[in-house]
Amino acid sequence: MSSNPERSQGHLESEQALAGLIRDREVERFLVYECELLDDNRLVEWLKVLEPDISYRAPVRITRERTGGPGFSETSWHFLEDHESLTTRVLRLETEYAWAEDPPSRTRRFVSNIRAAQAEIANELAVTSNLLLYRGRMDGPEAQLLSCERHDRLRCRESGEWGLAERRILFDHTSLPTHNLAVFL
Amino acid sequence: MRLSPLDHETAQCLNGMAAGLEEGLVAARIFNDERIHRAELERVFGRAWTFMAHESEIPAPGDYVLRYIGTDPFIVVRDEGGTVRVLFDACRHRGAQVCRAERGNASHFRCSYHGWTYKNTGEMIGAPSFRDAYPNLDRSRWGLIAAAKVDQVHGFIFATLDPDAPDLDDYLGGMRWYLDLMFAINRSGLEVVGEPQRWNMRSDWKSGADNFSGDDYHTLFLHKSMGEIGAIPIDARANMTGYHIQAGNGHCLSFSIAESAEDGGPTFWGFPAGIVETFDASAVSPKQFDIARRSRVAVGNIFPNLSFLLSPLTVKPRTVEPVTVFTIRQWQPRGPGRTEAWVWFLTWKDAPQADRAKVYQAGIGTFSAGGIFEQDDAEPWQSIARGARSTVARTHDLQLNYQMGLGASPSARFEPEWPGPGVAFRPRYEEGVQRALYRRWLDYMESEVYPAPRPASPPLAAEARTARAHA
Repeated sequence: MSSNPERSQGHLESEQALAGLIRDREVERFLVYECELLDDNRLVEWLKVLEPDISYRAPVRITRERTGGPGFSETSWHFLEDHESLTTRVLRLETEYAWAEDPPSRTRRFVSNIRAAQAEIANELAVTSNLLLYRGRMDGPEAQLLSCERHDRLRCRESGEWGLAERRILFDHTSLPTHNLAVFL
Repeated sequence: MRLSPLDHETAQCLNGMAAGLEEGLVAARIFNDERIHRAELERVFGRAWTFMAHESEIPAPGDYVLRYIGTDPFIVVRDEGGTVRVLFDACRHRGAQVCRAERGNASHFRCSYHGWTYKNTGEMIGAPSFRDAYPNLDRSRWGLIAAAKVDQVHGFIFATLDPDAPDLDDYLGGMRWYLDLMFAINRSGLEVVGEPQRWNMRSDWKSGADNFSGDDYHTLFLHKSMGEIGAIPIDARANMTGYHIQAGNGHCLSFSIAESAEDGGPTFWGFPAGIVETFDASAVSPKQFDIARRSRVAVGNIFPNLSFLLSPLTVKPRTVEPVTVFTIRQWQPRGPGRTEAWVWFLTWKDAPQADRAKVYQAGIGTFSAGGIFEQDDAEPWQSIARGARSTVARTHDLQLNYQMGLGASPSARFEPEWPGPGVAFRPRYEEGVQRALYRRWLDYMESEVYPAPRPASPPLAAEARTARAHA
C-alpha cells in the first residue's frame, strides 16, 4: 500500500491491476514452460521446477449422486508423490527397460483457464488451471485424451523464479482412458 | 441358463487348442476375437464365481457399490438385515438402470424412468400411482434379478449367475488352503483402502490372469528396471527360486521361496517385524504357517480374473525400506481386445496408520495405472491383442509357446512332497500354471453343462507321456 497522500485512488488501482497482470503473465509462462519440458521429455529438467517439499497427488474419482459431491476420494490415489518418489519415476524412465515410454509417447499438453490468487503464505500463489493431455503412441491412429483440473501452489524462489510446491490433479475420469499413467500432468 | 451355441469356427479353434495345450500351445486368436469374447461372457463369466467387492467396502446396512460380472452391471448391497445382495442393475419394467452412482447408501433403488421402486433386498415394492396403474400386478414376481449364489471368503464377496455352480468352497478347491495361508494369518482380518483404481487397456483380460498365475519369467526382462533402481529387495534371478502351484479348477499361485533359510532375504512377504508379531501361528496349520514364513513374494489368480500379489517393494530406494504391497486386481472384459483393470490395496485391520500410508504409497507407486512395475505390463499385453486379431493369426493358425517346464529334461521338477493341496513345481521356470488356467478356460468354453471339477493332476511319467504322444 502506498502512503503517499497525493496519489489518487485511480492510480493505486491501476498499479494493483498492473501487478496482477504481471503475476498472471508469470504464472502462465511458468505453466507453459512446464508443459514444454514434459512434452519434450526433458524430465530431469522438470524435476528442477519442483520444490523439494512438493506434494503431487491425483485422487481416484467415482460417480456419486449430486448430493454426494464431485466424487474425489480422500483415501485412494493415482499419484501420491513427493520429490523422491517423482525422482524415482523419472530415473526409471531413463533406464533402458522402461517400455511404458520407450518408444516415448507423443504428448501435447494444453493448459488454459488459468486462475491465480495470493496463497496463505506470502511468497506463494494458489493457481488453478485446466489441462488437456493428448497422448499418441506408436503408429495407432487413436489418441488418448486425459482431462483434468489442477490445483497448484507456486512458490517464488529467492532467484525470483517460480517453483511448484503442490499439485492436486483432479481428473475428469472415473476409469482412466489410458493403458498406463507413465506420463505426468 | 441358456447358452448360445458355439459357431463352427470358434468350436474348431477351441477343439484345436484343447489338443495343442497338451503340447504347450495356445491359439493366439483367443486374445482378441469377437466370437470368443461373446462366448466367454456367457460361458465363463456367466457361470464362474467372480469377485464382486470386499465386505469392508460396504460395512453398514444400505451401503452399496456398483460392480460388474463380465460386462453386466450389478449392485452389491448390504440389506437392512446385513445380508449382501448382488442385484442386476436393470429395472424390471423397461430395463433402465436403477442405480446411478458407483457407491453410496440406499434403503431403496428407484428407476429414473417411471419410478418403479425396489428395496435393497431387490424386492419390488411399488411405483407411482400404483393402485391406478397396476391393480393386478404381483410385486413378488418383479423384483430385481439376483445372482444365483453369493458367498464370501475372508471378506472377499463372490457371486455366480449359474444355479448349477458348486458352492464357493468347492469352486475354490485347493485354492482355499492358500487363501487361508495368506489372508487368515492375522486374526483382525483384512480391509481395503478406499475406492478401487480403474483404467482401460486395449488388451485381453486373460493376459492379466495369465501373468499373475505365475509368469515370474517376465520379471527378468520386462521389469529389469526395477532391480536397476532398487525397487525390489530381491535379486531377480534369485527370485526365480520357489514354487508354482496348480491348486485345481484353474486357480494358480507362485511363491518366491529361498532354497534354504541360509539364503536370507525377506520372510512373510517382507512384512515388518511389528506386523509379523500380529501373525498367529494357531490361526492356520503349521504347514501353512511355514510356507507363509518362507515366502518372499506371492502372486496368484483365482479363476477367472481375480489376481493378487504380496511383495516387498519401495518407490524410495534411498530412504525407505521396502514394505509389503498387498493388492488384488480384477481384469474385467470390456469387449474383444479390451480390458478394464480394477485395483484394490489391502491392509490388516489392526495395522498402524503410519504403516498403511507407507504401504499405500509403495503400492500405487509400483502396482497401479501409474505404478513403475505395472505401467510396463500394458505395453506387451496390448500388442498381444494386436497380433491376435491379425490375418496371420487366423490364416496361419498362429500358436503361442507355453511349453516351459515340458519335455524330456524339464526346467522345473514336480515336487511330490509339497505340503499343500494341488501340484507344485520348483523352481519357477515353468508355465504349467498358465496351461492350467487355459485348460480350465477351455472346460468352461466347451462344456454345455456346468464343467465338472478339474483337480490338479501330477505330470505323467516320462514314459507315459511318450506313449501318449505316439498314441
